[in-house]
Amino acid sequence: MISELLNKYGKWFGLFARITLGGVLVAAGWLKVIAPAKSQMAVRAYEVLPISVANFFGIALPWFEVGLGVLLVLGIAVRLSAALGGALMVLFIAAISQAWARGLSIDCGCFGGGGTVAPGQTKYLSEILRDTGLALLALYLFRYPLTRFAVEKLTKPEGE
Amino acid sequence: MATGGDKFTRNLVIGMVALVVVVGASFSYFGSKGSTTAAIPSSVSKADGYGIVFNADVKNVPTIDVYEDFQCPVCARFEAINGITLDTAIKDKKAKVVYHVLSFLGTESILAANAAACASDEGKFLAFHKGFYANQPAENAGTINATFLKSIGAAIGISSPKFAACVDNGGYADWVKNVADEGAKANINSTPTIKVNGKELDRNTEYFNVEAFAKAIAG
Repeated sequence: MISELLNKYGKWFGLFARITLGGVLVAAGWLKVIAPAKSQMAVRAYEVLPISVANFFGIALPWFEVGLGVLLVLGIAVRLSAALGGALMVLFIAAISQAWARGLSIDCGCFGGGGTVAPGQTKYLSEILRDTGLALLALYLFRYPLTRFAVEKLTKPEGE
Repeated sequence: MATGGDKFTRNLVIGMVALVVVVGASFSYFGSKGSTTAAIPSSVSKADGYGIVFNADVKNVPTIDVYEDFQCPVCARFEAINGITLDTAIKDKKAKVVYHVLSFLGTESILAANAAACASDEGKFLAFHKGFYANQPAENAGTINATFLKSIGAAIGISSPKFAACVDNGGYADWVKNVADEGAKANINSTPTIKVNGKELDRNTEYFNVEAFAKAIAG
């Protein structure tokens, strides 16, 4: 039953997953690329990394997101991009969770913005749920990287 | 069953995307770094994070660091509530006050910070600061341009052609970047951020209450 559904609609769902995950990565990344100081602030506010490292990632990570997103949207190196995108989402979920658990009052800075916010203005649960959904899409693409309208054409995962 | 051509295209695209990411990130990273050759407005102390300093030479008083972005609405609220307290502390030489004009909200913040530096050269930073916040436009709405900034200057009595040229040229933009870079190193994650002798005030109780703030900055 499930395999039938996969055969019939799997590649279309894969296209949906690629465009959604890739599109979100491109949009979220670009919004931070154009506001680097704010993005650095967002990473620092998690209070996980040393300040200089956080400032570096605040600038490097958005570009990385855009790159991954472009590959996913085009449908190139889907399996690798999905694995990296999924890992990124798990990382974000972990970072947000620790901020929540430690009682920090920050905005996740996922789509630009970020930094310390007033207590009571945090949105940790919805941020985690969104990233979980995206991680599941990444997982699907990792398992079934064959999708409609991808630039690369693979016969089996990672097969060339 | 990918053909040679497909594989070539694939690697080419991956390579190009990787190149753009690395080059873009490098430009962003080094572009965010301050410059040692930046033109520095008057009253700026490099040792104080390139901030504009008042009462630098007064001894045995607390140091108050004020980190703001001219476009931040909460900063305007802070100024409306505590501006007079800070101005009085400066006038009575009860504190050394360092203003750090951050610019993370965008281009218009940089323009405003540049104009504030121009006003500092005229000895009117505090008046400009007050005048700007009293007329703070909406964030990144295109309102903050040279004409607007010069009108703030005119309203506080700056009429010199030097100020107008300074606002037009944006010659302190590199200094604004230095201030931002130092703010990033100082782990400033929100504006306004107020530190007294290096210790941040309590965001829940001391920022927006006149009495609590006055007590907190008394040192």
